Amino acid sequence: VIRLALPKGRNLAAALAAFRTAGIALDGLDGTGRSLRTRLPEAGIEVLSLKDWDLPLYVTQGIADCGIVGSDVLEEVDGDLLVPLRLHAGRSRLSFIGRNDREPALPAPGTQVRLATKYPNTARRVVDREPWGAEIVKLSGSIELAPVLRLAELALDIVQTGRTLAENHLVEIATVAEVAACLVVNRASYQRHRAFINDWIGRLEAAEVAS
Amino acid sequence: VRVSAALPTGVAALLFESARRRRDAEARLVARLEAAGYAEAILPILDYLEPYEPLLTAATRGELYRFVDRDGELLALRADFTPLLARLLAPRIQALEMPLRLFYRGDVVRYQEERAGRAREFYQVGAELLGLAGERAEREVLRLFLELATSVERTAGQDPLALQVVLGFAGALDGLLLAAGMDDPVRLAEAVARRERGEVRRAGGIGGIGETLLAVLENGVPERPEDLGPDAATRLLRLQALAAELREAFPGVLLSIDLAEFARSSLDPRLAGGTGDRPYYDGLVFHAYAGRAALPVGGGGRYDRLFRALGAEVPAAGFSISLERLLEAAA
Repeated sequence: VIRLALPKGRNLAAALAAFRTAGIALDGLDGTGRSLRTRLPEAGIEVLSLKDWDLPLYVTQGIADCGIVGSDVLEEVDGDLLVPLRLHAGRSRLSFIGRNDREPALPAPGTQVRLATKYPNTARRVVDREPWGAEIVKLSGSIELAPVLRLAELALDIVQTGRTLAENHLVEIATVAEVAACLVVNRASYQRHRAFINDWIGRLEAAEVAS
Repeated sequence: VRVSAALPTGVAALLFESARRRRDAEARLVARLEAAGYAEAILPILDYLEPYEPLLTAATRGELYRFVDRDGELLALRADFTPLLARLLAPRIQALEMPLRLFYRGDVVRYQEERAGRAREFYQVGAELLGLAGERAEREVLRLFLELATSVERTAGQDPLALQVVLGFAGALDGLLLAAGMDDPVRLAEAVARRERGEVRRAGGIGGIGETLLAVLENGVPERPEDLGPDAATRLLRLQALAAELREAFPGVLLSIDLAEFARSSLDPRLAGGTGDRPYYDGLVFHAYAGRAALPVGGGGRYDRLFRALGAEVPAAGFSISLERLLEAAA
């Protein structure tokens, strides 16, 4: 039995749609993500419903053989997983965000700012390449509020449509990376279930829902 | 007075049953190593940092616990037995009778980010075979590794431990990775090692390189060995023959050849600087998984170039087993 870990939240719909289009039957799965563990004996799989941030750990430890997780999370908590595919649906951007009451620009070279983010490791790597410096403030949510309420000059966060930004008088200053939901596979599982996983990869590619 | 029993991150104390279990397993492995003609080397836990400087990569440097001794010398805690043994033997190599068969056991300490299953101190048992060139040494080392790794007993009534051994050789994909003509071939090697199909497809647009690399991602080997170039093709055929022989001898082990798994083990200096774990392998390279976890329980290979970097010409091959990970998988 293959254990597939699916994320709660943003990427779940994208994952389910991709599997459906590719003809990978997950019949009997409750699409709300409320059921934590669902056995699908006909498909020969068991689906675990996990939080994005926990999912890479479950796959690295081999509790799940494979899973779907956002590249934003993967970059932050890398566990040396295989990442064969990136889904097309639900793509977003990881961007620097600031208040819209001034020219949208990154800090001037040599300046030091505060940067609020859920992704401190990624932020550190990105800021290392910039000519300005930042004190990184790790937050767990509502990152957009940090520049609005002046906890930080900048935020590094996911931007999907930009609507939340506009509503909060914020602006996207620069894109750091494109974010996609990725198929991740445990290295040991790949050796053991190569045919099964390659079949999934082939179907997802052929249906043009991932590449 | 209340004393806390808390230990620093990444280390553990084994008490009672867990201590007995590890010592039992260790004793069994050591008995087999001695029976195979390997003699023990007891090595220090502390050494000067300086001899290792030219051997370090960004990744292995980040793992080191180093500090200034009271007399001002820079020291490092033992993070890997193989370079330690190599640097002790290299200056004396002319005086030693070859082949030389040595084994070691003890803790290594490596800094790791705090995560489940990532200990900073772990116990290794390993062996090194020096002075024997070519496939004879590789066969001996692999056989001994398989014998040891399959000797760990499971609790009564459980299925035998599912051991998976992945084989490859350093530099197998160098030709393809360089021929793709990327500005940053190291990044392509990383993408192959992570099996990022999109990245590999974009890179391999020229000729059949993309197709060949994608086949390696899927099946571990190209459709035709000659797609790797003549030298690597010959090596692959020989490795396939060796794998077939070992499959027969160890039917319970899932043995596969997967060149993508070792895409970061390169021989060409243009591909140096990636995140491959032990950068000194230059021939056969392998690692083993047990149970479900994706952290190898052991691995090894040929590392002639480690001795060459230390000024000695001697063929060398070896392996190590992380005893706690293996026992955890067997529990």
